[in-house]
Amino acid sequence: MINVNEDLLKKSSQPTEFYATRDDKAPSFSADAMDGSEIRRIRLDEFKGKWVVLFFYPSDFTAV
Amino acid sequence: MTELAAVAAMYPNIKNIGAEVLAISTDSVHSHQVYKQTTPALHDLGFPLVSDRTHEISQSYRVLDSATGTAYRASFFISPDQVIHAKMIYPKAIGRNIPEHFRLLQALHYNKETSQAVPVDWMIR
Repeated sequence: MINVNEDLLKKSSQPTEFYATRDDKAPSFSADAMDGSEIRRIRLDEFKGKWVVLFFYPSDFTAV
Repeated sequence: MTELAAVAAMYPNIKNIGAEVLAISTDSVHSHQVYKQTTPALHDLGFPLVSDRTHEISQSYRVLDSATGTAYRASFFISPDQVIHAKMIYPKAIGRNIPEHFRLLQALHYNKETSQAVPVDWMIR
């Protein structure tokens, strides 16, 4: 019994894995983007002060 | 209609409430360029197509399908101070509900301004 409890305690004291979910700080990034008719480097932190939707999709040229 | 074309059609409303969209896939930026040029509904796209060629972004948001090297159909709603407020992940073959994306943005905005909770199926008429 006591051993089981100790195991649980040990587990809970380990750092939890990052899931990028509600209330987490949005991971920052910088990447090339097609913006209007130009290719430019874009950074997430350019958009501080606004609500932003990150819309991940599998690939260009798909039917869905 | 593709998801991106549906987001493009909704974009004026999104812009109107001061929000932004960044569409992200693991395609190259040149693929994005050709995709835009050859897809009439995306010619005048008002928001950027981000190239996550290195998979770093998809990885850091935990939405990388490592078997195919592509991102999940996933949407993140990020507040002005860059905290994730909502996350949705859809099956690969099922398109998302874009009006719900707009409703959620409006609701988050409303909630932040007024501190009022937002009920089920709430909508600004």
